[in-house]
Amino acid sequence: MAFLEWRKFNFFDLKANVDDGRIASLYKECDITVATSGNNQAVLGDSCGQIHIITRFWQVTTFRAYEFKVSLAKQLRSSPLLVTVGDDDVGINPLIKVWNTTRFDKNGIPYCCRVSRAIPGVNPVAVTTLCVHEELQLMAIGFMDGSLNLYRGEITRDRGSKQKVFRVASCAITGLAFQALGPAVFLFVATESSVYMYNITHKDKEHKISLDNMGCAKNCSVLAVYENLFMIGRNNAIYCYTIDGKGPCYAVDGEKVLLEWFRNYLVIVSTTNRPITQAVAGSSSQPTSQGHLITVLDIHNKFIVFSSVMEKVRTVFSEWGSFYIIDYNNNVYHLDEKDLQSKLALLFKKNLYDLAIRIAKSQQYDSYGLVDIYRQYGDHLYAKGGYEAAIEQYIKTIGRLEPSYVIRKFLDSQHIEYLTTYLQALHKQGQAPEDHTTLLLNCYTKLNNTDSLKEFILTKDNDLDFDVEIAIKVCRYGSPEEALMLAKKHAKHDWYIKIQIEDHEKYIEALQYISRLDFQNAENFMKKYGNILIEKEPHESTQFLKRLCTNYRPVDKTDGILNGITELNQNADAEDYIHLFLNNSERLVEFLEYLISEGCVLSSPVYDTLIEHYLHVWSALEAGPEKAKYTQKILKLLQTLEVKYDKPQALVVCHMHGFSEGIFYLYEEQKLYPQILRYHVSKGDESAVLACCRRFGHQEPSLWVQALWSCVRESNSPLIDILPEILTVIAKERLLSPQQVIEAIGIAKSDVTLGHIRSYITNELQKEHDIIENNTELIDKYQTDIEKLKQQVETLKNGVVVIQGSRCAACHHQLELPSLHFLCQHSFHHHCFQSFAENENECPACLPENKKLIELLKSREYNKDLHETFHSQLEKASDGFSLAAEYFGRSVFNKITVITDDETEKILSRAKKYDGYNQYNVLKAGNRIEESAKSNYGPSAEARIRLSENIRNTPKIISTSEGKMRLQEHQYSQSLEANITKYGTRGSSSKKSESDSQVIGKNPFEDDYDDSKNPFTDDEFDETNPFSDQYDKNLNPFEP
Amino acid sequence: MSYAYLFKYIIIGDTGVGKSCLLLQFTDKRFQPVHDLTIGVEFGARMITIDGKQIKLQIWDTAGQEAFRSITRSYYRGAAGALLVYDITRRETFNHLTTWLEDARQHSNSNMVIMLIGNKSDLESRREVKKEEGEAFAREHGLVFMETSAKTAANVEEAFINTAKEIYEKIQEGVFDINNEANGIKIGPQHSPTNPSLPGAGGQGSSQGGSCC
Repeated sequence: MAFLEWRKFNFFDLKANVDDGRIASLYKECDITVATSGNNQAVLGDSCGQIHIITRFWQVTTFRAYEFKVSLAKQLRSSPLLVTVGDDDVGINPLIKVWNTTRFDKNGIPYCCRVSRAIPGVNPVAVTTLCVHEELQLMAIGFMDGSLNLYRGEITRDRGSKQKVFRVASCAITGLAFQALGPAVFLFVATESSVYMYNITHKDKEHKISLDNMGCAKNCSVLAVYENLFMIGRNNAIYCYTIDGKGPCYAVDGEKVLLEWFRNYLVIVSTTNRPITQAVAGSSSQPTSQGHLITVLDIHNKFIVFSSVMEKVRTVFSEWGSFYIIDYNNNVYHLDEKDLQSKLALLFKKNLYDLAIRIAKSQQYDSYGLVDIYRQYGDHLYAKGGYEAAIEQYIKTIGRLEPSYVIRKFLDSQHIEYLTTYLQALHKQGQAPEDHTTLLLNCYTKLNNTDSLKEFILTKDNDLDFDVEIAIKVCRYGSPEEALMLAKKHAKHDWYIKIQIEDHEKYIEALQYISRLDFQNAENFMKKYGNILIEKEPHESTQFLKRLCTNYRPVDKTDGILNGITELNQNADAEDYIHLFLNNSERLVEFLEYLISEGCVLSSPVYDTLIEHYLHVWSALEAGPEKAKYTQKILKLLQTLEVKYDKPQALVVCHMHGFSEGIFYLYEEQKLYPQILRYHVSKGDESAVLACCRRFGHQEPSLWVQALWSCVRESNSPLIDILPEILTVIAKERLLSPQQVIEAIGIAKSDVTLGHIRSYITNELQKEHDIIENNTELIDKYQTDIEKLKQQVETLKNGVVVIQGSRCAACHHQLELPSLHFLCQHSFHHHCFQSFAENENECPACLPENKKLIELLKSREYNKDLHETFHSQLEKASDGFSLAAEYFGRSVFNKITVITDDETEKILSRAKKYDGYNQYNVLKAGNRIEESAKSNYGPSAEARIRLSENIRNTPKIISTSEGKMRLQEHQYSQSLEANITKYGTRGSSSKKSESDSQVIGKNPFEDDYDDSKNPFTDDEFDETNPFSDQYDKNLNPFEP
Repeated sequence: MSYAYLFKYIIIGDTGVGKSCLLLQFTDKRFQPVHDLTIGVEFGARMITIDGKQIKLQIWDTAGQEAFRSITRSYYRGAAGALLVYDITRRETFNHLTTWLEDARQHSNSNMVIMLIGNKSDLESRREVKKEEGEAFAREHGLVFMETSAKTAANVEEAFINTAKEIYEKIQEGVFDINNEANGIKIGPQHSPTNPSLPGAGGQGSSQGGSCC
């Protein structure tokens, strides 16, 4: 029946003579009766009543425990207590003794804490079995007659220990075992013919349960640590019992001699007919035919892990982690378990990898070791061609074994399916780097296994453990649909769009996809792919861009509408998209128009672009209503105020496209009228030139001059026809002096005929002539005035002043004496004067007038020192001369002093000096101006001006154009010079009058003097002629 | 784990019909294609619920080999239910049913519930025994019949649970003497009635049995 056995291995080595024969030497004349072990020592009892305590190093302590025989002994596992049963007398009278093996008396004998008789009732019976519970509270002894003594209480003490006797069966008790399960305690009892279990949890309530009606021999029962089985060895099998009854049964043949539990193994010693194996017999000197078979079972894995025939076994014990066997010759054998590595090696040699794995697992082999086994198993299966099974094993190595080891093996195309399985597992465990994902996806595509691929992609939802990007990348070439799906699922927008556009050329789909994205993404992707989208799908793209730039909200996002209020409308900057419409002006125009119509605030480049593209379209159009429409459109855009386009650029663009309307508008806008003019001139459009000049002439008179220049500058200018008109305006507006006009025409290259300028010249000459005549008249008048004044002065000097006033100037009554008379022809009553006058030197009637004059003069005196102001103003002033003239007019260069009576003489003398000084200064200034004028104009010009100098004597200052001013400047300086000499003479005449005491009653300065003709008087000067006033108040010789 | 009842089962049938696989499928819910021969008797347990009661099933899986017949016979006694298994792909296993049934009837108590199982129903292509034949045999001998597959787990649960139900019904009908443990039925710790017929049972029944093994 050998074939009906468990698998057999040899996991143990049986080593003979491990104690160097020391045990054998102890038993020369007696036999070992019992062996027990625990608490790091082995205990042997012999038939002479001696007990030997053996240490690990085979040192033996022997003491006599009984007089005759030790029949049973039990060394507790974790306590130094040793319980023995033996005989001290001849006959049957078993005694229980409890020893403490750590306490020795003076003779070296362990302390015996208890001695009590073991007797099941009245008559003493031979003991068969002894069992002590490890908790030291329970002890049971079985007897030959089937009785059982159960002792409760502290086993070390006789007293307090309660003994109870059970009649178990009628035959001898052969095995006892306590089993504690939580609070419950059970006692298994085996007899020669039956098995029972006692529930002894509660004292006096013991409950007997019959487990089987077959028993076993002495020593042939054991309590297995494994699943708490009580095992009984019978001839055909090992039967196991649980507290619930029968358990499993292991068929092991042979008459059992001894059962022992060691670690996870059941050691069975049974009789056999087989001869002793020489190798195992070891030191045995005489091989006997009758040996014992030692079988070690691994109950868990169901193997026979050792099996050997050896000398008859007397007893066995396990201690120090090993199992020892003592045979009848007292030889000690060591049953040594091989280490796991050698066990595994053994299994590997037999290619029993699955067993190896089972064993390794049951022995808590570390995961690295296990992985190694899996790998070996895999390798083995692979070598045998069991690829699928091999992969199964390799999958178990995931996480420890480098995947490339496996992958390399299966890279063959014929193994790709297995490889796929492996990679799938790899991914499932999240151990796959991106390369492996790539590989897996490649496998799928190679296998054409789109379903799996799809499944893989989809099921990866929960445990997203692969690089989506890689997956997409791979799928993109193999199965683009999946790639697309993947991209969509994982919101890899970029990939999705890229695939749609680049691989599928489904631009509409891409666009729709983008339109579903949120703003940020949509904007980005539009920037990225807008180019190609516009190129391929101009209409849809433009529509989308419109939305993007105005009021973007993703499509299919209903919730967006719900909280739309809180959400800010997002607008993309149109500027970013303009470049997309590179070659598509129409779309761009459409796009931008839409934006503008939506009232978007756009940046100036956008407008610029729009204008540019408008013009682009415009220039592409044929002349017609369409073109006109565009013209209107552009102009409207240009004219819209809020459109912030860049004007210079618009101008450039207009120029480029020859869009004259726009150019004009822009010129006008920028006030670049000369440009407009120039444009017209360049076009040779005389009417337009004229219209332009008329239109803008009032804003920019120089236009006319420009027109003139452009008329004459070029030969054959068509503008020659409008020359007369230009000249008329120039003449009317006095834009140019006739000299300049003539000069301009003179140097002209065009064929200006006299006919063109005849009327102008005639007019001008006529005008000049009139002026000259006017001036001559004035001169005559002044001269007569001067003559008159001279005569007056003479009268005052030398003549008699007749005071004829008959009425008082204050009360208008007839004058009565005493009265006062002033040279100013005012007379007063003395009393009137006294009550009226503030100052008795002055005429009260003239006083307010004189005071005003004096104050004015004083303020003049104050102002005249502001040289610095003058200089700075001069520097800043565009027209230096007019400024200087103004100052001169204010008499800044004159020393004006308020003259009081007592200072009269001084002033008189000073006035002389002052006159000269003044003259000199002005002359000097005049020269200087002349000099500068010389540098500006040629000598001929000067000469011409000199000619006109006398004619144009009207000192009217018109601050118009620069050119005009320049001309006047010159004239003015000349006239100044002339006038100063006049002034000088007038000053000297006043000198004369000052010294004169006789003054005619009439104020000579007030009457005939023509203020308007006097170049030195301005408005404020008019009524306050200093000469008359000074004269009046200060120099009255008749003043009392 | 506490239970209301403990039922002991025995699985019998020719060697190789899939007894051990049935047990493994029922207890561990797995299938092992290569299985070592059962040497002796193996043992499994599982809790099921019937009629809201927790019932522990203790199953002896016996060796089908003739050589172990003497060992397995001793397990009939003390079993409340038996699964008599044959292999639908091997007619001889069906033919041996009578022997097995006689054996079982002879050594077990008369009330034992026996279920006839035609295993390996997944191997339809290799079928040698028709389902009708199995049904007819079961009818003839008063057995419950079922075809199962330990590989696909088809009907495996049902086979065990239906047997348990039948036993449970018999208990309710009072057919089983639940106090005689030789019948293969044990009352769980909390259900143990005070039974004066048992020596020393008294009031300590609650502690009896403890937990499972």
